[in-house]
Amino acid sequence: MTTAQYGAITVEPFGDSAVMVTIPHADQAIRRAATVAFRDRFLAHRPHGVLDVVSGLESLLIEFDPLRTALEHVEYAARLVARWAPAPSDRTDGGRAVRTFAIPVVFDHDNGPDLASVAEELGLAPSGVVEAIAESTFTVALLGAAMAPMMDGLKVPGPVRRRAEPRTDVAPGAVMIAGTNAIIQPFPGPTGWRVVGRTPHTIVDISRPDPAAFGTGDIVRFVPVTRDEAEALNAGFPLPTGEGA
Amino acid sequence: MKTVALEITGTGWITTFQDLGRTDTERRGVPTGGAADQHSATVANLLVGNARSATLIENLGGELAFVPDADVLVAVTGAPARVTVAGGPVEAWSPLVVPAGHEVRVRGDMTRGARVYLAVNGRMAARTLLGSAAPDARMGFGQNLAPGSRVLLETGFGGFGRGRFEPPLFRLPVPVPRFDDGPWVIDVVASHGGHAIPGIREVVEESAYVVTPRSNHVGLRLDGPVRHPDTDTEIVSHGVPIGALQIPHADELIVLGRYRSLTAGYPIVGVAARASLPMLGQAGPGRELRFRWIDRESSLRQFARRAAEVRTLGQAAAEAFGALGFEEPLSHTK
Repeated sequence: MTTAQYGAITVEPFGDSAVMVTIPHADQAIRRAATVAFRDRFLAHRPHGVLDVVSGLESLLIEFDPLRTALEHVEYAARLVARWAPAPSDRTDGGRAVRTFAIPVVFDHDNGPDLASVAEELGLAPSGVVEAIAESTFTVALLGAAMAPMMDGLKVPGPVRRRAEPRTDVAPGAVMIAGTNAIIQPFPGPTGWRVVGRTPHTIVDISRPDPAAFGTGDIVRFVPVTRDEAEALNAGFPLPTGEGA
Repeated sequence: MKTVALEITGTGWITTFQDLGRTDTERRGVPTGGAADQHSATVANLLVGNARSATLIENLGGELAFVPDADVLVAVTGAPARVTVAGGPVEAWSPLVVPAGHEVRVRGDMTRGARVYLAVNGRMAARTLLGSAAPDARMGFGQNLAPGSRVLLETGFGGFGRGRFEPPLFRLPVPVPRFDDGPWVIDVVASHGGHAIPGIREVVEESAYVVTPRSNHVGLRLDGPVRHPDTDTEIVSHGVPIGALQIPHADELIVLGRYRSLTAGYPIVGVAARASLPMLGQAGPGRELRFRWIDRESSLRQFARRAAEVRTLGQAAAEAFGALGFEEPLSHTK
């Protein structure tokens, strides 16, 4: 990703102490990738007074302390970063290295109640959907609600729709897909994503100083296992299989 | 320093450890959270010589009661409340010496505000998640207190050797908010989402909205007139500031709170001014709200004035406690 691919950014005020940054581009995939790239650069060159940065799929909310900085300074800094900051793939920011994970997943009807309907929607057999997921290489784009890793990279014949009626209580560890994305449910709760499997790992453990197993940019592959194999793993907090992309 | 135990003898509907919330965790999917009324929480801590962000107790509804096993310095802030020590009424929004073995009872007036805050001089022992004691129910981090809980406190407070009926030791410039009976006026800064809904600005300004019992820490859900955009735009989730006024598909207005997550792309017509956020944190079911549009500059001037008042209190409290040779926790005061 280079700056030349997106160039200008749009910065809009959002209330009295935040701005919303978007990257106009006709191609959705480029918009999304550029948003991730911009976020990483901006965090690596975080201006004084910036409190937090919230990633959306195609936008970035920058929250600042209005007593320590002003909207104009934040906007100026954002434009400078978009234009001049080095690409994040250079990892000159001292940020953590990209790690790779192989995550065991049980894909069956009990653990993946939406597997059959996804298969029907895509014109595949359920085993074909599992195969497609297992052959995809995912990149963690952002941590969503409660540190749920939201990943890009699902290679299926077409984008997967969300559920019309969200499920109200999905178990932790549920592996879910929608569009060309995948996500893992960290805690019990509702979701509109399609539930296709479940990993025995605990992907967010609040007793750890750093509770989330995954960080943005990490590479994830899903490895189909049987229910017995999953139980035998005695899986806890997942550890990476390697570092460096 | 010594360790003091507070025996919790009564709790409200929801009684938790609390602080000002998490910093720099939203980009990792964890909302800042923290005290719904940040002003009252900050002032409570300053009144007992603590750092603003020190752990304290937040109580919603019912009655909070506790007995300390040594003399402690406490302050109660937030909604108007009846506060008693061993049955005798005492002042809220003021430092208060509670002798060992005396029970403190705090009953907030729910018709005038939802939450009360109890700060105690010293460092409360509480679990933390990502650096903060603030609860996060979604992540299974409840932080609830129940009758029988013992809250441990490291404190350097040794008492002032004064009786309960002597006049206050010092008068501090305490910025106490107004908790009016009538509708509360919330200032709002317009945002771009309003343009997609013709006439929404007038509707929001002219209507009365009532907080419903469906409200929670994620957002206040208000009954009152709204309008919807003519076209269905593509839903792309994005981050939203605290205080965002959101119009979902149903006929209601939602004011997002400190535990909001990404929004599903519903139109956001404005964002409550920073200086109005503490009152939103106090708005309980049945509370009538009115909205007034203000520009960003006015909003920031208002917030700067409020911040200056709190700073003045912090300085006055630091001087007063310092003059009493009572400075251990003050070294943490920001």
